[in-house]
This record gives sequence, C-alpha cells and structure tokens, in this order.
Amino acid sequence: MDNLKKYNDVFCRVLNVNESVLNENFTFKAVPQWDSVAHLSLISELEDEFDVLFESDDILHYGSYLNGIEILKRYGVEF
Amino acid sequence: MFLNVDKHNKNKMAIKDDSGYKLTYGDVCLTIEEFDALNLPRSVIFCLCENCAGSLIGYMAFENNKQVPLLLGAGLDEGLRSNLESMYTPSYYWVPERKAEEIKGEKVFSAYGYVLLKTEYEPYPLNDKLSMLLTTSGSTGSPKLVRHKYGNLEANAENVAKVFSWRPDEEVGICDLPMNYTMGLNVINSHLVVGATVLMVKANLMDPDFWEFIKVNGGTSFCGVPFSYEVMRRVGFDKMDLPKLYTLAEGGGKLTDKMFKWIATYAKENGKRFCATFGTSETSARMAFLDPELALQKIGSIGKAIPNGELFLLDEAEGEDGTVTGELGYRGPNVTMGYALNKDDLQKDDEFCGEYHTGDIAKRDADGFYFIIGRKGRFLKLFGLRVSLDETERILKTQYPNVDFCCTGDDKKMNIFITDAGLKDEIIPFISGKTNLHNSAFRVFVIDEIPRNDYGKVKFAELEVLAGK
Repeated sequence: MDNLKKYNDVFCRVLNVNESVLNENFTFKAVPQWDSVAHLSLISELEDEFDVLFESDDILHYGSYLNGIEILKRYGVEF
Repeated sequence: MFLNVDKHNKNKMAIKDDSGYKLTYGDVCLTIEEFDALNLPRSVIFCLCENCAGSLIGYMAFENNKQVPLLLGAGLDEGLRSNLESMYTPSYYWVPERKAEEIKGEKVFSAYGYVLLKTEYEPYPLNDKLSMLLTTSGSTGSPKLVRHKYGNLEANAENVAKVFSWRPDEEVGICDLPMNYTMGLNVINSHLVVGATVLMVKANLMDPDFWEFIKVNGGTSFCGVPFSYEVMRRVGFDKMDLPKLYTLAEGGGKLTDKMFKWIATYAKENGKRFCATFGTSETSARMAFLDPELALQKIGSIGKAIPNGELFLLDEAEGEDGTVTGELGYRGPNVTMGYALNKDDLQKDDEFCGEYHTGDIAKRDADGFYFIIGRKGRFLKLFGLRVSLDETERILKTQYPNVDFCCTGDDKKMNIFITDAGLKDEIIPFISGKTNLHNSAFRVFVIDEIPRNDYGKVKFAELEVLAGK
C-alpha cells in the first residue's frame, strides 16, 4: 500500500470521515470532531503507521491534512 | 450578590474570553441587574454552555436571581437534549446565538453572544433550597441530575480559594475544562469569589491559539484532568515559556504515578507548584487537596480534606504500616442535596444532609494522607468525564432493542460486548456520536451471549477475561 493511502486511512479511521473530504480545507480549525482527543489519537496512529516520533512542536502546529504530509516528508516518509 | 461580585473593584477585569469579550466586575453586576429586571419566574433553565463570557454571565445571573439552571454542554447530542427537555420541561433556554434557530422559543433577552429563549413550558414547584443542577454523566445526557443547594457553590469557592491562597490582585484563572463540568465551574467560582480574573477558553490544549491566549493574558493558574496532562506532555508544555503560570492543579481522575511525578518534578524545577485535588459533582467539586510542598513525597495522593470539610473511610480494613482502606466519605458545606431522576424530584428536600459517600475506595496512610485505589460503582472516567456504563447500555438498547449488550472497562477504554456480529462496525461510530467521546475510547467484542448467573446478573469476571485483562 502506498504511503498516501496509508495516511488517508488513518485520517478516515480516527476522524470517522470519507476519503473524499480529505483536501486543502480539511484543517484542525475547520473540522469539529478534530479536537484534542482525536488529535492525540491521530498522532499516535501516524507514529505507529510510519514508525516516526513527532517533535512536540510538530504536534502542536500540525494544522491540517496537507501540512501533515509536509511534516511527514521531513521525517523521511515519501509521498 | 452571588460570589460577592458587587464587593470587588468595579474596574477590575472579571471575565475575558477567546472570542474577544471582556467584562469588568462593574459590567458583571450591571448585566446581572439587567437579568433581574426581566423578573423571570423561579423555574428550570437549560444552559447550553461553552467556555465564553455569555455562557458564564447567564449562569451567574440565574444563580443570583434564584432561577435554577441545568448546565449542559452546547455540543450535547440533539436526541439526548430533547429527552432531557421532555423530562424536565425548562421554561427557558440560555444558548449561543447560532443555536437559537434549533431550539423552539421566543427570544426575550441577549448578552455577549448568548440569547434567552422562553419555551412553552410553565414553571412548576421547586424546592426552596434548590440552586443548580448538573448531570451525573454529561456526555451520555443522563437524566440523573445532582441537586445543588444554596451555599454549596459559594462554600466550595471560598474554601478552595483559601486552600490555594489565591492572590486577588495577581491571579488569572484559566478555565480550559468545560464550565458545565464541576471542576471547570469551580475554577471559575473560586477565582471570582476573591475578585480575580477568569479566562474562558474555547480553544483546546492541542491548539497553538490556546497557549498564545493564556500567555498574552498572563494566566497564572491552570487546572486539568489526567488527559489534559497527557496532551500537555506531547505538545512540549515543559519547554514552553509561560513565566506567569504558577499553579498547575489536577482533578477529575487519577494520574499515573509516573505522570504525577513528571508534573511535580517539572513544577519544582521551574518555580511553580503542582496541586493534586479530588472532587465530584455531588460535592460541588472539590473535597481534597495535596500540599504542593509534599507532592514528591506523597506521589499519587489526593492529600487531605479542604478547610471546613472532613474526609473519612467507611467499612474500614486495616492494612500494613498503619494504613486503613475503605470507601471514601466526606462531610462539608459543599455536599449537595441528592439526585433527581425526574422533575418531581426537584421538590425533594436535602437527602445527603451534608454527608456524601463517594463510591471510591481509598487508602489512608499513617500520616493521614488519602490515596484513591479503586471504585465501587458502574462508571468509568474517560478523558476525565464520568461515563455511566448503565447509561451507555440504555442508549445502545434503545437504538438496538433486539440485541443484548454489556459495557465494562477502565479509565482508558470502554469495552462493549454485543451479541450481533452484524453490528460490529456500526456500534463505535454510533456511540461515539451519541456521547461525543472519541472512537478511540471504545472497543467492541462480539460474543454468543452475555454470561449471566441464575439470577440474571452479568458475570463480569468472565467478560474481563474475554476483554484480555
């Protein structure tokens, strides 16, 4: 499975959404169910899935679906 | 006035929120008087709460003017809210403006982004002592309410302010916990009663705006549940520059010893203080407090009773080294009157009479410090929120009448046992949506039948084996 598919699956599972809504508008501020509980869950699932350990600053400024991809690229995950 | 708000400096900032509203103590008194001029009858008012100035000022006015608010979260599921409405027939609603369309009612007043709606329900008799209502299990919209009496909130506010030694001129309390949650409400009341400032924050701890807001506004005292501290550890709270933040309090559940030590050590090394506390809705929030000087010596302890309160153990059993174990009980002026299961119960008199048995099993060490070690009742604390297992089963059975359910779990996860494999994938989204609790809090197990003994009682021990304990 390619990394984008894995990344999307984690979002769909944790935030209980359909893959079709994952775009530039899918942000921490705009999605009501993306609260602190969901965010912590998302972070730990992404860490497990991609075998990375996020810096605290990246967790706090994760921000959006798209920005998350940029962050993961910095940790060496290829998209 | 309620919490002596009219005795404080009129020009001093009382409430500030992250939507941009600011109220001095003078503004607070004025708004309470505007509410008073409406001459509302003594009746039940549903407040759909958010952490903002409008939500807070409504509650304060209703307390002051002797209406009886029921504080609910604004995010409460619509079906659960209308169930509560049909049971308790509130004459008014106090709601955020954007919710005014959803709720049928005539708009009679508005302030700071909130509106007062008059419903079609007539007021009905309420006990003279009854001051406020909270749910026992907020996210499941449990119809079982805690009946507060006049003096409960005030006494706990004053005694908690005393034990924390709040400094009225400097203190800026941070209300990050929901105001409809007893511990959040106590953060508010204990700061306002001494004339300090309260920051009402909607942004959550994972949002950079939260940290920016409390830094810019010089927040000095924070209170979190165990989950708040887990989040704070992950976002690198210990590396943030928050020079004004002085008090880190914890309540609403048990921290792991490791986490307790982490916070206590951080506080000690950074010139701050860590205060472990313990409370319940039935005691208008707090009963116990651990002296921050002793945090690293008494790891995991809830400390001793707050001033004017008394902790004791029921059915005591003596252990090693002078320890005693038993169910934790409490006496004090903040003990509420009892529960309500329907609106007739709102006429009931004081049933607790100043004494509450918590259902938590505690150990008292030889020095008199208390430690929570277990629980008697059928409820969990998920993300610091009390969630009734019976109530969750009721919601599931209402939705799926032909399926047998049983719920168990610990303060990390709820285990839901079901007898219909076809439902496996829809249970978690359903119950997560109903309770507003994230789906990571639930696990589903499909089994042939719920194990019961000859009397029909669930054999929980067998379920725990299945859950892999």
